[in-house]
Amino acid sequence: MSEPVVRLRGVSKRYGDFTALDAVDLDVAHGEILALLGPNGAGKTTLISIVAGLVRASAGEATVLGRDVVRDYRFTRRAVGLVPQEINFDPFFSVEETLRFQAGYFGVRLADDRLEEILVALDLVGKRHANTRSLSGGMKRRLLIGKALVHEPRVLFLDEPTAGVDVRLRQQLWAYVRLLRSRGTTIVLTTHYLEEAEELADRVAVIDRGRILLVEEKDRLLERQGGKTLRITLAAPLAVLPAGLAALGARLAEGGRAVEVDARPGGSFGPALAAAAEAGFPVGDVETRRASLEDVFVSILGGEAGGDRR
Amino acid sequence: MNGLGFRTLFSKELRRFLRVPGQTLLSPLITTSLYFLVFGWSLGSRIREVDGVPYARFILPGLVMLGVVTNAYLNSASSLFVMKLQGTVVDVLVSPLSYAEILGAFVGAAVARGLLVGGIMWIVGAAFTGFGVAHPALAVLLLLVVAAGFASLGFLTATWAASFEQVNFLPTFVVTPLTFLGGVFYSASMAPPALRWLTQANPIYYLVEALRWSVLGRADAPPVVGFGVAVALAGAALLAAYAVLRSGWRLRG
Repeated sequence: MSEPVVRLRGVSKRYGDFTALDAVDLDVAHGEILALLGPNGAGKTTLISIVAGLVRASAGEATVLGRDVVRDYRFTRRAVGLVPQEINFDPFFSVEETLRFQAGYFGVRLADDRLEEILVALDLVGKRHANTRSLSGGMKRRLLIGKALVHEPRVLFLDEPTAGVDVRLRQQLWAYVRLLRSRGTTIVLTTHYLEEAEELADRVAVIDRGRILLVEEKDRLLERQGGKTLRITLAAPLAVLPAGLAALGARLAEGGRAVEVDARPGGSFGPALAAAAEAGFPVGDVETRRASLEDVFVSILGGEAGGDRR
Repeated sequence: MNGLGFRTLFSKELRRFLRVPGQTLLSPLITTSLYFLVFGWSLGSRIREVDGVPYARFILPGLVMLGVVTNAYLNSASSLFVMKLQGTVVDVLVSPLSYAEILGAFVGAAVARGLLVGGIMWIVGAAFTGFGVAHPALAVLLLLVVAAGFASLGFLTATWAASFEQVNFLPTFVVTPLTFLGGVFYSASMAPPALRWLTQANPIYYLVEALRWSVLGRADAPPVVGFGVAVALAGAALLAAYAVLRSGWRLRG
């Protein structure tokens, strides 16, 4: 990996006896979308907040583009955009004023065409002069994204960006995130919607109880951890599973109307299909399903809960 | 130096209070005008003069001081507290603004509101009592320093506060009683011994007297004490607010 855009080395955060982050090492590569996954209270927001300058680490070092986030805060904060998890808005001002103020804090005069581009991308053109108080929840969340983009950050942290956003807008936001990435913006995303991470992420980091459990390319992770399931729907229900299929670990489902068999990563369904053909039962349909990121996530955290800590 | 960042935050803070002038400018004006009318007019007809100065003219500097102090305090306190409550303080904390730039913008805008309210009050009051000012530059300088001190106290209070009740603690339980017992409506030399002692132990008394000297050219207490109190208060409050902001206490995790 070339010089990482964000680098964390031994970053810890303690609140009294509680350890929110425990010696975290993490590199975020230029131009990637990294999904940071973990249950509530895992430390995702704390990690993001340390890089953005909202929280101070108790130990360790965090850098953005090679510069320390505390010593070189003016440089690193200009390089970082943060969409916080909690919706915030200033009821004294309009959408346009809010965006112009935010740009100003970063020392940037927001050009009209840049303002227009953000408003269009976030579907807020009609609300340009509206008071932020009058915006719906989804609009307020989109305004948060706009605020994080006004200074054209090199790294964008999205902390649960689509919570409370409807399906159509979520799709729009995903498209916009991809557009930003295609322009070279590095994106770190935390989300409860694993479907969102699966859709967008290049790499996935799983964090739990302040520790990074795994960092891996999403496709390789799904390939490695996520097996496939073969499902044969039967034209007529079976009472007993044929011995050839039972020997392969198959099971009857839906009261005998379907047969399911799992293949480990890299495994083949050839023997199962041959056994089904040999059994000679009438087949209605055949489908395979790949494990989702959600299945993998649950399995990783399940392993962790079972004491398999790294 | 993030000059544009500082100017943006300062301008946002100015526009915030100018956008609700009824609450931020008119309301203190009406309250103080009522003091002026009730105390100045009703008591003025009985007291007539204090040390050779018409009573209404005598109380005007104290009322202006009260207006400047409370408005400077309330502006930074309510603005920062509301930003904390609504989460918009994050917008400033993630920006490349330095601590001095953040504090300077909040205090600067609060001073502007304090002086604006004080100035309007002065114009209204002076229309009845006369516009003469003995030392105008010193009067403005004193009010500027006092406003910066109380604006910094407001910033500190809002950093600490977890509720509006706590934000209002200082003006309700400290500033207003001290101002009323600080010789706004009476001269310490006229007061009975117990009240005189209480008055002379009160730092706000010296601020009021210093402004009275700047405006009327005479006062009970030496003006240099008032100017000293103002500078000490502003210096200590500004330094404390800067140190607290820098420490991240209650603002950065």
